[in-house]
Amino acid sequence: MKIAFNTAIALLIAFIVAPLLIVILVSFSGREIPEFPPSTWSLRWYGYALSQPVFVTSAINSAWLAVTATCISTPIALGAAMAIVRGQFAGKNLLQAALLSPLFVPAIVTSLAILLAFSSAGLRTVTLRLVAAHVLITLPYLVRTILASLTRLDLTVEEAARTLGASPIRTFWYVTLPLIRPGLTAGMLFAAIVSFDNVSVSLFLTTARTNTLPIATLNYVEYNFDPSIAAISTMLIAVTAVAALIMERTVGLRSVAGA
Amino acid sequence: MSRCTAAFLLLPAVTVIVILLAVPLLYLLGYGFLDTQYGQGQIEGVTLAHYRKVLSDPFFLRIFAKTLLLSALTTAVVSVFGYALAHFIWRQRRWRALFVSLAVSPLLVSIVVSSYGWMVILGNNGIINRMLLALGAANSPVKLIYTDAAIVVGLVHITLPFMILSILAALERIDEFLPEAASTLGANPIQVLRHVILPLALPGFAAGTTVVFCLSMSAYVTPAVLGGSGPNFITTLIYNEFITQLNWPVGAALASLLLLISLSIVFGYIHFMSRLNVGSAKAGT
Repeated sequence: MKIAFNTAIALLIAFIVAPLLIVILVSFSGREIPEFPPSTWSLRWYGYALSQPVFVTSAINSAWLAVTATCISTPIALGAAMAIVRGQFAGKNLLQAALLSPLFVPAIVTSLAILLAFSSAGLRTVTLRLVAAHVLITLPYLVRTILASLTRLDLTVEEAARTLGASPIRTFWYVTLPLIRPGLTAGMLFAAIVSFDNVSVSLFLTTARTNTLPIATLNYVEYNFDPSIAAISTMLIAVTAVAALIMERTVGLRSVAGA
Repeated sequence: MSRCTAAFLLLPAVTVIVILLAVPLLYLLGYGFLDTQYGQGQIEGVTLAHYRKVLSDPFFLRIFAKTLLLSALTTAVVSVFGYALAHFIWRQRRWRALFVSLAVSPLLVSIVVSSYGWMVILGNNGIINRMLLALGAANSPVKLIYTDAAIVVGLVHITLPFMILSILAALERIDEFLPEAASTLGANPIQVLRHVILPLALPGFAAGTTVVFCLSMSAYVTPAVLGGSGPNFITTLIYNEFITQLNWPVGAALASLLLLISLSIVFGYIHFMSRLNVGSAKAGT
């Protein structure tokens, strides 16, 4: 009974990690088609991927988009979370639900709605609508992690600062902000990953000229099967693993990724 | 904090939600009623034709049915897998953080990356087929990729972390002496599981199944990469109507329908949870 259960667990964990492990191994293959285990080993697909303008440009676009969207949505989320935790007004639950609502709308529907609304308003700049969409989808993750950090905070520390004569802004800057910094950092990292990896919300908003890396790789795998995608994926996995380690060390992966 | 300050701090966030989500969604719902063909064309009035087409065309209905069926199947499989893993992690002491990290790892990697991984595993020249051929279990490659089964495999993989985290959260709220008390009173492990642990894990299952079903139904990459060619899912159908057919009003009607189904499931969940809470509050008194 116990052995059967543990075998099943081992198989399930293999199922979870198999696609990622295989992608990493295949990226070092020397052949034209992905094979596992690779018969020859080489770094040629890394060289190939990094020499393709379509991947390099879209990777720069995605990185820029992730940083810009996170930098815009972080102060917005911080303000809202402060108001919800510290303010006295009715309808807080409803407000909180409204701020988390982008999570409940299917991403492809959000993408389409923004495309239609922006087109009809005459806003056809690709960068503008991409930033807008990514601010919208990163906002709930930031609101959630900042809310969690703020509610865990000891109120008396802030009260002590105020009693000792600090203004509300000074209190926030020198007391509250340093205390929630781990949660804030983890939330920002996760938001940047969510933005960087996003496919469905960007789906209708990119163009052939202004593309994100996930959409460029998606278009590529629909017609090509060579290991260059594995090389790109492995580089992404490496970057994400570092970010995940930082999040695990600061507040724990679970509280950031929590469903 | 004064009301004025709170309102000032909330204003940017509320503006983002209203202007970038609420207004565009209302516009999308309305767009399906517009009498205009091919997107950029002149708007000639209001019509029910697009919604009628979406709700009566057998081709569309077949894809709806398939999407709902595959999402339900995914949810069922993920419930079983997710419970097993959550139970295992719940019982772990030393390696807990490691197993949690492994369990959430699919969330941290782009869906395009894991889909490519499944292409390598399930492809005609992939790992499974090479193993089958080597073992003599098959004479020619078995068609695994570009099938509905491949879609389910991909969906199970990306949604499993949500189920594990939901159920684990519920399990951790269980008083650790309860299962012990039940077994002291003579319940065997199966009875403890069935009558003590599973009922208390119910809120976790409810949250998990809601998230997993909604995410499966609205997944785009998995059916696009691992499924058969042509529109094979409600999301790829929406994409096809918009990008290939250029029929924006029908695409908008399809998207509205997907939105309404998702939101009704979420509201159903909220209703279920409030009834569950009322029920347990009554049982507690």
